[in-house]
Amino acid sequence: MPPSPVTVMQLPDLSDPSAHRSFLREVKKFMDSSRQPRLIVDLSTVGQIAPESIDLLLECVDQAERSDGEVSVAGASRETEVILELTQATSVLNIFPSVLEAANGSQPQVA
Amino acid sequence: MEMGALVVTAGGDVTSTAPGSSLWAPAWPVLGQTVLERWIKMVQGLGVGLVSVVDRAEQQSNRVHTMIEWAREGVERILLIVLGSYAEIDLCDLVRFHYEGQHQVTRVFDQEGPLGISLLDRGCVLGHRERAIHEPHSHSSRYDFLGYVIRLSSTVSYRQLVEDALQGRCGIRPTGIQTRERVWIDQTAFVDPSVQIEAPCYIGPRARVRASVRIRGCSSIERDCDIDLGTTLDHTSILPNTYVAPGLYVRESVVDGTKLENLARGVELDLGTAGLLARIGNPQPTASGRPVQVSPDQELPLSGAEAQQS
Repeated sequence: MPPSPVTVMQLPDLSDPSAHRSFLREVKKFMDSSRQPRLIVDLSTVGQIAPESIDLLLECVDQAERSDGEVSVAGASRETEVILELTQATSVLNIFPSVLEAANGSQPQVA
Repeated sequence: MEMGALVVTAGGDVTSTAPGSSLWAPAWPVLGQTVLERWIKMVQGLGVGLVSVVDRAEQQSNRVHTMIEWAREGVERILLIVLGSYAEIDLCDLVRFHYEGQHQVTRVFDQEGPLGISLLDRGCVLGHRERAIHEPHSHSSRYDFLGYVIRLSSTVSYRQLVEDALQGRCGIRPTGIQTRERVWIDQTAFVDPSVQIEAPCYIGPRARVRASVRIRGCSSIERDCDIDLGTTLDHTSILPNTYVAPGLYVRESVVDGTKLENLARGVELDLGTAGLLARIGNPQPTASGRPVQVSPDQELPLSGAEAQQS
């Protein structure tokens, strides 16, 4: 059985609606073209995640579930980890310390 | 007069963050009452009629002046409490120790060191004046205290005190009515019948806890808070006048208005702009820094040393 396809993406600039739309288009394309796709969102450059970004991650989860896939986030700051837990996004996202660990399929962090 | 008590609070605005910590402020109530209010009650329980509260930010000479004035007016002993800890000292025993030992100055210590509590004789205050008050250790006796004490210098120690109080590990009893074992809910609080409460917990005056909220892990909700639908509080304290948005999971945190300090990760966040937290109502004014005198039968305000001016 071939391994699940993996792609790594960064969150778009929230102030740019076209980047936002383009990000979602890419996610949808990846999810639609793969079986059990694994999307890794690299948060290592995000200081404190905004609520709009969490909504975007949840949209990704929604897309992933339709293809029996999953969404992971990697490299989140402590601030972002707290917000992900606070908003209960951790219940639908896999959390990894780094993109490498996420890509290697290590055990996700316990939120 | 037999005895006076001078309580020195943390410097500056007691609602502001204490130096060296992130969110912690001395004006935070612990299950309905601030530590200052609890100290004043302890002192009043000793039968001390003359209690004054001064701000540490005030010039030290003002403090000294108050003590010398008291001594001149005939106050025999002055209990000086520099607030920095909550300690369940048997003040009667302290006075007895001081009196029987004919000490001029008695300082209270625990295993970690001095607790900022001293008992000074009138003669000492008048005789040695400033030196005796500035340096009470120079010719003092030591009273070793082995009971419950916690130094309040951080949000972590604040949470420890709340948990100890809710677990019955110290003498603090929450205000309000104990509705069932180790669950205290103020009569003026609104708690939706669907709220799941896991003991121990505290819900303060005029707090509003909406449908499907879950409260567990020694959590406390102080006065005038609003916890919105379906939110879970776990090992968390919500400070007065705080709104918490629906559907959140707040764990190992202390929340004050828009600010949240997560103790598990050592992170402080302002979540006001994210719409997850808000400051609501009008926080009560607290100690202005001017000395206030508290009469023995005076009802203490809910917050700070807002009391009759001396």
